[in-house]
Amino acid sequence: MSSKAKSRGPDLRRSVTPWGSFSWGYSDVGADIFVGLGLVLAWAAGASNVAFLFAGVVYVCIGLAYTELASTYPVAGGGQYFVMRGLGDIFGFIAGWAVLLDFTIDVTLFAWSSVDYTSQLMPALVNSIHPWLHFIVVLGLVLALCLLNVIGVRESTAFNGFVSALDVLSETLILCLGFLFAFRPALLVHAMQFNWPSPYQLMLGTSLAIVSFVGLESISQAAQETQRPASVIPRTSVSLILTILIFALAYSNLALGLHPWHPIADAAGHPMQFWQIFPHDSDNQGKAVALLAAQVPYYGALAALYVPVLGAVLLLISSNSGVFGSSRIAYAMSNSNLLPSIFQRVNRKFRTPAISIVFFSTIAVVELVFAAAPALYPSVASLYARFFHGENGLGFLADLYAFGAATSYSFVFLGLIALRLRDPLSPRKFKIPLNVPMRWRGERVEFPVIAVIGFIGIFSILIFTLRTHPLGRIFGPSWLLLGIALYFVYRRHRRLPLFGSQQRDWRAAQVEILRSSGELELMDEYVANVKASDARRATRPV
Amino acid sequence: MLIVRGVLALAMVLCGMVVMARMLAMLPAGLAVLPGVVLAAAMIALGAHRLFLIARAWRST
Repeated sequence: MSSKAKSRGPDLRRSVTPWGSFSWGYSDVGADIFVGLGLVLAWAAGASNVAFLFAGVVYVCIGLAYTELASTYPVAGGGQYFVMRGLGDIFGFIAGWAVLLDFTIDVTLFAWSSVDYTSQLMPALVNSIHPWLHFIVVLGLVLALCLLNVIGVRESTAFNGFVSALDVLSETLILCLGFLFAFRPALLVHAMQFNWPSPYQLMLGTSLAIVSFVGLESISQAAQETQRPASVIPRTSVSLILTILIFALAYSNLALGLHPWHPIADAAGHPMQFWQIFPHDSDNQGKAVALLAAQVPYYGALAALYVPVLGAVLLLISSNSGVFGSSRIAYAMSNSNLLPSIFQRVNRKFRTPAISIVFFSTIAVVELVFAAAPALYPSVASLYARFFHGENGLGFLADLYAFGAATSYSFVFLGLIALRLRDPLSPRKFKIPLNVPMRWRGERVEFPVIAVIGFIGIFSILIFTLRTHPLGRIFGPSWLLLGIALYFVYRRHRRLPLFGSQQRDWRAAQVEILRSSGELELMDEYVANVKASDARRATRPV
Repeated sequence: MLIVRGVLALAMVLCGMVVMARMLAMLPAGLAVLPGVVLAAAMIALGAHRLFLIARAWRST
C-alpha cells in the first residue's frame, strides 16, 4: 500500500436525506440574499430588480450545470474536480483556487454581515460608530469558527434543517404579507423610470447581484454524502435553485415598490422610498432584509425582533461552511496532486485537517484586516478613496466574492461542455435541457446550448467585476497569479507536468464513484456503455 | 409537515396571482412592469409545482 493510501482517512458516510441535502444548500446559498440585497439596492437603484433578474438567469444556468455534474460525478471536490476531469489539471487548479478564494471570503463576509444583523438589536456593534468593536467581534467569530472546526465541532444537519425551515417560513411570510399589504406597483414603476442607474452603476449592481447566488459548491458537497445522489440531487437542487431565485427576485421588486409602514425621511425631513436608505449608508447595506422585514405592516413589529437574529444565525452557518468547505476543497485538490500533501494531513488528536483549517482561516483574517482598515484608520480610508473609489469593507469583500465566483463558474461551464464531449459514456440521470445531438470522435454526444448561454452570462459578469471593482481588479487576479506560481513550484518539485495533466484511469474512477454512492444500476449501465464503445472501436476500419 | 409545506405553496401561488394582477393593471407603464410580471409568473409556477409534488406525496402515503 502506498503512503498516500495509508494517509487516507475513512470515507464520508452517505447519510444525508433529501431534506438534509436541500437545507445544506439552502443554509449556504439562502444566506446570500441577506448580504446581496443592500449592496445591489445601493448601486443599481431603480434597476435592482433587473440586475437580480440577469444574475438570476445566469444562476439558474449555473445551478442546472452543477446539478448535472454533481449527480453524474457525486464527489466532494465540486467545481475543481469537474474542471480537472474535463479540461485538465491546470484549469482544475485555477477553478479550485478561485473557489478557495470564495470560501475564505465567505468566512469573513458572512461573519461581518452576521455582526451587522446583530447590530440591528445591539447598536453598539454598528460599524460606523464603533469600528474597533465591530472588527474585534468579527475577528472573534472567525477565530471561534476556526477553533470549533479544528476540534471537530460542526453544526449538525438537523440544526441546519431547523434554521433553513424557519428561514423559508419567515421569508415566505415577509414576502407574502409585504406584497399583500405594503407593495405599491406605482412606486416600483416610478423607481424604475426615474431612478434608472448609469451603465457603470448597472454593471456594478449586476456583478454584486451574483453575490446573492454564490455557494452552489454545496450541491456537490452534499452529493458526496447523499445516498443515491443521481436520483436525490436533481430533485432537491431544482427546488433549491427555484426557491433562491424567487426570493431574490421578490425581495428586489418588493424593496423598490415598498410603501414603508413607518414613514422614512432624509435629514432635511423629505420623505424617501425604502430603497433610498441604502446608497449612502454602508451600515444599512449589511442588514437589508431585517430593515425590510421591519417595514411590513403588522408582522413587522414581530419580524423586527427575530429576523435580525435569524439572519445572524443563518449567516454564521454560512460563514462556518466557508471554514470547513475550504479545508475540504483543499483536501480534494491535494488528493489530485494540485496542492501539497500538507493539506491532507489530519490532526492526530482531533482527527480534523487542522493545518488546512488554520491556513485558510488566516487568509480570511488577512482579508478582514484589508476590509476593516478604512474604518479603523482614517489615513487608509483616504488611500482607498484616492485609488479605489472609496470602497467600504463590505464592498471590498463583495468584490472579491464576485470575482472568485465568476471565475470558477466560467470554468465549470467549460468543464461541462468538455465532459459532454470527452465523457459521453457516463450515464446522466439529469441533463440540462436544450441539447444539440452530434458526433464527436466516433461517439454520439449532446452539445449543451444552456452551458454556452450560461458561460456568456457569467463571463460578462466577470468582465463587469473587473471593469467596475477597483479592488477586485487588483486583488482577484493577484490571488490567481500567486496560486499559479505556487502550483508550478509544487508540480516542478513533484516532477509532474506543469501545463499537462497527470495520467489517470477515469473509467475505473467512475466505476468506483458510482459503486460507493450506491448507484449500482448506473454503474452497470456505465460498464455496458464502455464495453459497447470498445467493441465499436475494435471493429472500426483503421 | 406536508400540510405546512402545502400551505406555504398555496400562499406562494396566491401571492403570485395578486402580484400578477397588480402588475398587469400597470401595463401602460411599458417594460417597467416586466420584472414584476416575471416574478409573479415564477411564484405561480413554483407554488403550483410544489403543490403537485405534495399532492403526489400525499397520495403515496
